[in-house]
Amino acid sequence: MEDRVRRIMASVFGVDMAQIGVEASAQTVEQWDSLRHMNLVVALEEEFGVRFTDQQIDELLSFRLIVLTLKELGAK
Amino acid sequence: MSDISYAELLRCNRELAGTLQGKGLRIAVLSNVVVAQLKEILEYTLRSRGVNAHVDLGDYDNVVQDCARFARHDGVVLFWESCNFVDGLHYRAALMAEDELTALRERLVGEIDLALKALLQTRLVLFNRFSSLLFNCYELREGALDRLCRELNQRFDERSPTHVLAVDVDKVIAQVSVAKSVDWRSFHSARAPYSVDFFRAYANYVAPALLSMAGRAKKALIFDCDNTLWEGILGEDGEEGIALSAETRQGRPFAEVQALAHGLGREGVILGLCSKNNPEDVDRVFEAYPDTGLRESDLAIKRVNWSDKVTNLRDIAETLNLGLDALVFVDDSDFEIGLVREKLPEVATLHVPAARYDYPALMRRWRNLFFTLSRSAEDTAKTRMYREEAQRQQAAKSFTSIEDYLRSLGLTLTLHVNDASLTARMAQLTQKTNQFNLTTRRYTEADLHRMLEDGAHCVLAFRVTDRFGDYGITGLVIVERKPQTQHARIDSFLMSCRVLGRNVERALFDTLVADLAVEGVRVLEAEYLRTPKNSQVEELFDRFGLELTDSSRQHRRYQLNVAAYAPASIDYIEIVRR
Repeated sequence: MEDRVRRIMASVFGVDMAQIGVEASAQTVEQWDSLRHMNLVVALEEEFGVRFTDQQIDELLSFRLIVLTLKELGAK
Repeated sequence: MSDISYAELLRCNRELAGTLQGKGLRIAVLSNVVVAQLKEILEYTLRSRGVNAHVDLGDYDNVVQDCARFARHDGVVLFWESCNFVDGLHYRAALMAEDELTALRERLVGEIDLALKALLQTRLVLFNRFSSLLFNCYELREGALDRLCRELNQRFDERSPTHVLAVDVDKVIAQVSVAKSVDWRSFHSARAPYSVDFFRAYANYVAPALLSMAGRAKKALIFDCDNTLWEGILGEDGEEGIALSAETRQGRPFAEVQALAHGLGREGVILGLCSKNNPEDVDRVFEAYPDTGLRESDLAIKRVNWSDKVTNLRDIAETLNLGLDALVFVDDSDFEIGLVREKLPEVATLHVPAARYDYPALMRRWRNLFFTLSRSAEDTAKTRMYREEAQRQQAAKSFTSIEDYLRSLGLTLTLHVNDASLTARMAQLTQKTNQFNLTTRRYTEADLHRMLEDGAHCVLAFRVTDRFGDYGITGLVIVERKPQTQHARIDSFLMSCRVLGRNVERALFDTLVADLAVEGVRVLEAEYLRTPKNSQVEELFDRFGLELTDSSRQHRRYQLNVAAYAPASIDYIEIVRR
């Protein structure tokens, strides 16, 4: 799952997969603006077949939190 | 193309932006709701089809002002959503008093007028029809919001100028379903009602109009025969054994597809065959089934033989003087489709579905590939003209010199100067002509109207006829005069490939230079701008005797001292002025 998340984040932000480390977050990834955040949400939902709540969307602000939230939603 | 994931689409779009050449199209999407995701989806949809599009988004809810700001873009797309005419209108409309609704409607009509006025010079405006479908699809009665949309659409229809294409958004929503078109979460959090699924369908739906503006509409539909125009294999089942009659269950889908193809032919799509069969056998089928949708006379070209289809399709493109990317090829065989996709990726391929009952519906969907912005009488006459061309090529074989042959044709060149009745055809010529086109500037009807009226331009369309028939309006020259310097400039010079090889261009140029001399023009400026398709005219002006003043890989600029011009004085083309 981690690699798939990384690949999606790389595609959405237009960066190399290698640049998405476990510490990647809205603070460290320069391209992470509000529009791309919405793109990230849509791309993750499509990839993992899940639906985030408003609350979760506001909190999906780092690689770690994304993986954690996806696991909570039962994504594999 | 809709099968790639959204993340993949974003990545590919970025890659395509770096690889595509050319100026491409600049498109603005203006809206009173948030439609941010349409930017990359629309870019990808056009870029993946070879057009380097760049989409700018207008400001949130600033449609009227943005129309003025983006009017010079090639295309403007308007999402003017009823739910946000005023905040929360989708639920407030039902509570509003009649006079309030009337006042709102009249305000909007005024805004629509302002917007359309600001966009008068824009080459193409895609104006979404007003819709309330996302909010009303369970309502048995027409509600206040429905009525408002209906009345606004009515008022819009009364106004709509020719450069505006009204886009029926409800059809897109129907394709996707209401439930999947709308995203209530983003609607409430960000005033973004539409889902990514909707935007994908929308981009596919409107792409043909934008591709047509970029001169990338498909032009020819080429069919395999067995299991493509009829059920069965002619060589094995014989003409009685194959099914193509609407009277039989097996034949019915094929009869419908043939009728659809016949209809496309009438609209100007070039129809042809590319099939491994004995040519006499295939001809006999058309004789034996004279009432089936597709007639032998609908077919502009036939390559029925035992050569491979790649060779045949190349030959078809060459004979029709079209690029491979103008062809659409239909076949039932995985092998043939695979081979063409592999060897000729520019050719669009359509695979006949194994479930034949799905075939006509798919064909109706594919029709969109041939969408062109301007329709004109020439389109419907096109097949006849391509057939006449085949007869001419036959006649050419019996003459010893090409001059002899041209002399025998009885060529007439009819000139139409600043003829406003021809703008639809002239716009279409600028949009569709790729090969004999010196500058490849694409113009809409609005562009041409402006040039006809500004006094500085001379827009000269010409018609070519010979003893075999009428080619119609097949070429265009646009000259801009600069009276203060006694200079003139050729802005556009283009000609349909149907009339190549007859020295028409030279006879025309002689006449043009003579006319300019009479007007007092001393120096004529001209240029050649390179595209991937117009190398055949790279040295045209050199051949005409113009002086090359400046050149690079992308362009060649010329000047001509009008007084010193040496005309070719072609005596076998008669010039007529209208």
